[in-house]
Amino acid sequence: MSNRSGSPPAWSYWVVLPLFVLLWAVVAWLLKTPLLPTPLDVLDTVIREAVSGELWHHLGATLGRVIVAFALAMLLGTAIGVAMGRSKTTNALFDPMLVLLLNLPALVTIILMYVWFGLVEVAAVIAVVINKVPNVAVTVREGARSLDHRLEEMATVYDFTRWQRFREVWVPQLFPYLMAATRGGLALIWKIVLVVELLGRSNGIGFQLHLAFQVFDVAAILAYSLAFIAVVQLLELAILQPLERRSSRWRQPETAHA
Amino acid sequence: MLELRISERTFGQPVLGEISAKIERGDRICLLGPSGIGKTTLLNAIAGLDETIPAKTMIGAVKLRVGYLFQEHRLLPWRTLSANIQLVGATFQEAAGYLASVGLKGYEHYLPDQLSLGMARRAALARCLAVKPDLLLLDEPFASLDPVMAGGLKVLIAGIMDANPGMAMICVTHDGDDAEILANRLWYLDGKPARLQWDDRVGESGLIDGVLKRLRHKLEDS
Repeated sequence: MSNRSGSPPAWSYWVVLPLFVLLWAVVAWLLKTPLLPTPLDVLDTVIREAVSGELWHHLGATLGRVIVAFALAMLLGTAIGVAMGRSKTTNALFDPMLVLLLNLPALVTIILMYVWFGLVEVAAVIAVVINKVPNVAVTVREGARSLDHRLEEMATVYDFTRWQRFREVWVPQLFPYLMAATRGGLALIWKIVLVVELLGRSNGIGFQLHLAFQVFDVAAILAYSLAFIAVVQLLELAILQPLERRSSRWRQPETAHA
Repeated sequence: MLELRISERTFGQPVLGEISAKIERGDRICLLGPSGIGKTTLLNAIAGLDETIPAKTMIGAVKLRVGYLFQEHRLLPWRTLSANIQLVGATFQEAAGYLASVGLKGYEHYLPDQLSLGMARRAALARCLAVKPDLLLLDEPFASLDPVMAGGLKVLIAGIMDANPGMAMICVTHDGDDAEILANRLWYLDGKPARLQWDDRVGESGLIDGVLKRLRHKLEDS
């Protein structure tokens, strides 16, 4: 999956993105309005906020919520997805709920959680988890349905423990689905976290965006957004891609023998 | 050693009829019969894999240790050969020993998909041995192997049975020649639903020829 078919060559990023920044700079320079700051203004803001420590404080708060919500959503979603994929009854019980939740706007969950539990951290995290769990469950369910029954029989004959069956037989087969859920999850969750913060927290990127919005400080809006995009890309490069390479090594066997 | 008792169950189509047989230690049973008759179903039932066909395969209250060589190797493709064998309870040293005993010395760190069909089947056989089975189930172990490979595997299996007189074997095969080399007892599964048509010991001289001749006719007709 790291080499998704249709993904462009690496150099395209080094050409298209700088060109875009250049275009942005030209337009900003022509318009000369505070509503469209130049790339240099935005960079200035990033540096200023970083030096003052504000950027790290809010980045950390948001990242913390993303990580907690992500971990909970993956755990719950995987458990539900596996149960649904393995049992027709469980599937029948949960599927209508999934359809409901998948179509429920994130904003509604967030508002309801804040109304019911107050403007507290737990409500914020639960709202994000509720939004993400159905996606994870649906993805993992597909994986659980495609588990190889021949390996199941093998595990039964050789008396694998529950843990061995999970760790050795299921997880490797579910891995591509878990990775897909992870990728989609990170992208979705941090966006929802921003809304949660905007509506009811007093720190985090979303909170900062809210402040900047009230004074039309576009430079700050762009500075905080770009900083977080950079963090998410870093997670992808530093954690997800190495993990994926490591776990799919067995898929590329060397030349067969004899 | 083992009383095999299968009571007929019909779920839509009856697969196996009533089957009862006693399996003794040292039995080398070749299970023959037309293709599609339910030989693999019978093996699965004996291995306890088929919940719709309850087969009583216990010694007292103790579950038999079963080594099952499936038609496919069914090794975990993401684990090395030694790791696959260690998963059924062997140490690395023991795993290496079992691999060596099937002619795969030095292949401990290979992944299953790096092996040829014949080698992967030997590796799966090594895993069977690692559970120190009371009963070895082999489902068409020689299918799709070239004659040299198949011959080597036959000799290997005969050697394993000689070395483990306390072990019993049931080997599904299409081929009367396999039976001639491996078997001291023949099962012939046929009918609808399938029952054991014959259960013959071929220890005494003279009997084996007659049985095999009958068998060849039967197999040629079907």
